Amino acid sequence: MGCVGIPSSKSPTRWGGRWLGYNETLYVPQWIQKSWQKADMHIPDGYLSPTTCAILYGSAAPFWYSSLQRLKKRLTARLVPLLAVMAALSFVIMMFNLPLPGGTTGHAVGVGIATILLGPWASILAISIALGIQAVFFGDGGLTTLGANCFNMAIVGSLVAYAVYRLAAGRAALTSPRRVVAAALAGYVAINASALCAAVEFGIQPMFFKDASGAPLYAPYPLKIAVPAMMIGHLTFAGLAELVLSAGVVAYFQRTNPVLLRQTASANLAAGPGAASGESVWHALRPLWVALALLMVLTPLGILAAGTAWGEWNAGDFATAQGREMMATASQHAAPPAAPPRGLERLSTLWTAPFPQYAPSFVRHPALGYALSAMFGSGAILLVSFAAGSLVRRARGKNHELS
Amino acid sequence: MNFEFPILNPTASVFQVREVTFRYHQVTALDGLSLSVRPGTRVALMGANGSGKSTLLRLLDGLAFPESGAIDFCGEPLTEERLQNSQFAHSFRRRVGLVFQNPDIQLFCPTVFDEVAFGPLQLHWPKEKVRAAVENMLEVMRVAHLRDRSPHHLSTGEKKRVTLASVLVLDPEVLLLDEPTAALDPRSASQMIDFLIGLHGGPKTVITTTHDLDIVEDVADECFVFQSGRVVASGTPMEILSQAPLLERTNLIHAHRHIHSTGETHSHPHLHGHKH
Amino acid sequence: MNFLERTLEGFLNAMEHALSAEALAKAPGLLQRIDPRVKVAGILTLIVAAAAAHRLWVIAAVFGIALLLGVASRVSPLLLAKRVWIPVLLFTGVIVLPAPLVVPGRAIARLPGLGWPLSAQGLASAEYLVARVMTAATLSVLMIVSTPWTRVMKALRVLRVPMVVVVILGMAYRYIFLLLESSRDMLESRRSRMVGALKGSDQRRIAAASAGVLIAKTLQLSGDVYSAMLARGFAGEVAMLEDFHAAARDWLALAGFASVAAAAFYFGL
Repeated sequence: MGCVGIPSSKSPTRWGGRWLGYNETLYVPQWIQKSWQKADMHIPDGYLSPTTCAILYGSAAPFWYSSLQRLKKRLTARLVPLLAVMAALSFVIMMFNLPLPGGTTGHAVGVGIATILLGPWASILAISIALGIQAVFFGDGGLTTLGANCFNMAIVGSLVAYAVYRLAAGRAALTSPRRVVAAALAGYVAINASALCAAVEFGIQPMFFKDASGAPLYAPYPLKIAVPAMMIGHLTFAGLAELVLSAGVVAYFQRTNPVLLRQTASANLAAGPGAASGESVWHALRPLWVALALLMVLTPLGILAAGTAWGEWNAGDFATAQGREMMATASQHAAPPAAPPRGLERLSTLWTAPFPQYAPSFVRHPALGYALSAMFGSGAILLVSFAAGSLVRRARGKNHELS
Repeated sequence: MNFEFPILNPTASVFQVREVTFRYHQVTALDGLSLSVRPGTRVALMGANGSGKSTLLRLLDGLAFPESGAIDFCGEPLTEERLQNSQFAHSFRRRVGLVFQNPDIQLFCPTVFDEVAFGPLQLHWPKEKVRAAVENMLEVMRVAHLRDRSPHHLSTGEKKRVTLASVLVLDPEVLLLDEPTAALDPRSASQMIDFLIGLHGGPKTVITTTHDLDIVEDVADECFVFQSGRVVASGTPMEILSQAPLLERTNLIHAHRHIHSTGETHSHPHLHGHKH
Repeated sequence: MNFLERTLEGFLNAMEHALSAEALAKAPGLLQRIDPRVKVAGILTLIVAAAAAHRLWVIAAVFGIALLLGVASRVSPLLLAKRVWIPVLLFTGVIVLPAPLVVPGRAIARLPGLGWPLSAQGLASAEYLVARVMTAATLSVLMIVSTPWTRVMKALRVLRVPMVVVVILGMAYRYIFLLLESSRDMLESRRSRMVGALKGSDQRRIAAASAGVLIAKTLQLSGDVYSAMLARGFAGEVAMLEDFHAAARDWLALAGFASVAAAAFYFGL
């Protein structure tokens, strides 16, 4: 049980903080350092209330079920050995210590590479099974929080990785460098999306679950602390680890066996200009739709943020005591001016939003209002994008005919 | 329901391989190969690594199908379509058993007991019958003390015995063995051979692939020598083993420099012989 | 190479972990003798009870029960300390250190020097979290070290886990060890061929290539295992032999778990 010097990164100790235990030239016994490194994003029992755990199990279950059905149809009997072996692989990959830029090392979940090689559905199941084995047999991650961990890492991670990879790689050839970049991006964004989910899950605990005296019963830090704390560690180390692994393995397979990258490449690769058929676009982007739907459903979380976003006040708020208090709290107790700025006053009557405060007048419940606004807003953006896209395609098509 | 396909012609070959070609990853593993195996015989497929013998075994077990040519099992064609019929597959899998060369791919259940029970359970035997058959087979193969062990806690010899047990528990008529003594130390290898010689009342037809010339006489009555995906010679073990040029041509023996006890150094083709 | 060695170290730990669990599972202790299904259901219920409790003393009581079970099952406190308590204190303990400063509430003390207030609620929240994590982790380790993993897998059926998932879990666990061994061999041979320190980018390339080789081999393995399964009659349906027999002792244990859990829920909520 020797001691290891934790490699000091060039940047100051602010990075990473206590979550990853990196300190400049601090000699820490190995068995201590291991506890810090292994923890990563596996949420242990006790951090999330049983209600939260139940909700997350409930959210994970439809994805598990749907992935299983999909794979059964596509793979039939091959499903069992493939998932078993892939789960074992996922487990072992999570144990790899990866060298990162800056001289440090970290662990990756492998969600980027699993999604790229196997597709999102197999990735969801393989990683979930690996997480289950880690939780039950190796004590990494809790049993009540297994649903949450699977939701964050396996489900959100795989879907986000898939969407980002497909979008970023487009129809580049299997061996093109663009795919390596796309893989890096996919891994990085996916792991940060997972971290964000975990951070939100932590952050809402003290809001809802307190004992009689007001002490938080589970994770004690509110969103405004939990989110930055989680994200800093993941935007740097964990994200980098995932990036390095995804990019490195894709590059390796491009050299040795590009056909393995075919699973998540679209049907027609680098086939020149010409729109992909409507059906394949839909198929390719299906996880994106799912992700979008998820986000829409989760928008009511915005209600939980206390007060209003800084700067999002209207002219009337300067007059009411409540409005002024909101402004003061958001601005570190600096007193707001007595009257609204002239420009604000002039322009504030120019436009009245159809859904002020994200609540159409006929909708009572604010959460429903948020969700509806999200659907309406996203729908409007999508319509406009499709319209613009088809106009562009038509114009291009005309050009081709002419040339 | 155990529906057995009748053997239409009792004197027909168990396996009839006709002009079979099979390619794997741009490599031609079998190149217009033909042979036939009569029921009740013990056959050795001999050849160096890469000569196509393991590939042929997989084709004989219906795990892969030839690009051209045909394989008949007991007078009936063995094709992918026929194996998709669950009744035929059921019957075929019970009658033909394959022991792979690498035991780790074949030991995929959590314990030895589960592994031996896998085959019978897949064939829908009643649970009591499964339990009884497994217990019996564990005794016969002398691995009963390993019943609750996981595969990664077994030695190579034990692994091979367990894989053999897991196939023999179904009481197949045909046994296909892929390099049964590969990677075994001499003692385990000899135990394996003892066992294979003493297989009474078990499989009637045994097809063994090997590049180990020492065991050929013990496990086979008839040999086929493979090279580059074709059969280049056939005959009894005595006949084949006496043809040194053939053996050298097909890489079954080697000529390397060695030192005699007199101190003389030279090289000539030789078999590392055994003493009686 | 630092990262190679650390990875190999991690592999070794995992294998030791599993081995020691299997060894303990054979000891003649209390938990070892109870039917795995009762254990899985019972311990899980206790974990949920500890997670749900709103009172610290209830969590502590469940922890006490866990300790008693551990002692009765010949699990040395030293093992529990090394595997559970110390890592929990180092991770969760460190995370909750700022809680009394951050969580708003009634100030009960002030930080010497800086004068920042420490709140009672913050302290309580730290206690809750550490107690919960300790108790849950102790209980789950007890379950694993007192039962062979193969029986834990099969016992999951009692929680309505589908048969195909249990089969996949069992196969995955078994192959983890094969992959660990072959990865270890590969990394050890890489390490032995490395002389001197390498540039960061080279290190990353090596790490990625190692992962790549492992992945390629594993994809091949899955095809081979599938062939082996087909050869033994596999046609898509999974089946397993379960030989659980509940004796009077097991019903008693179940009653024991149930009453402790019920009490914990009653007093805790």
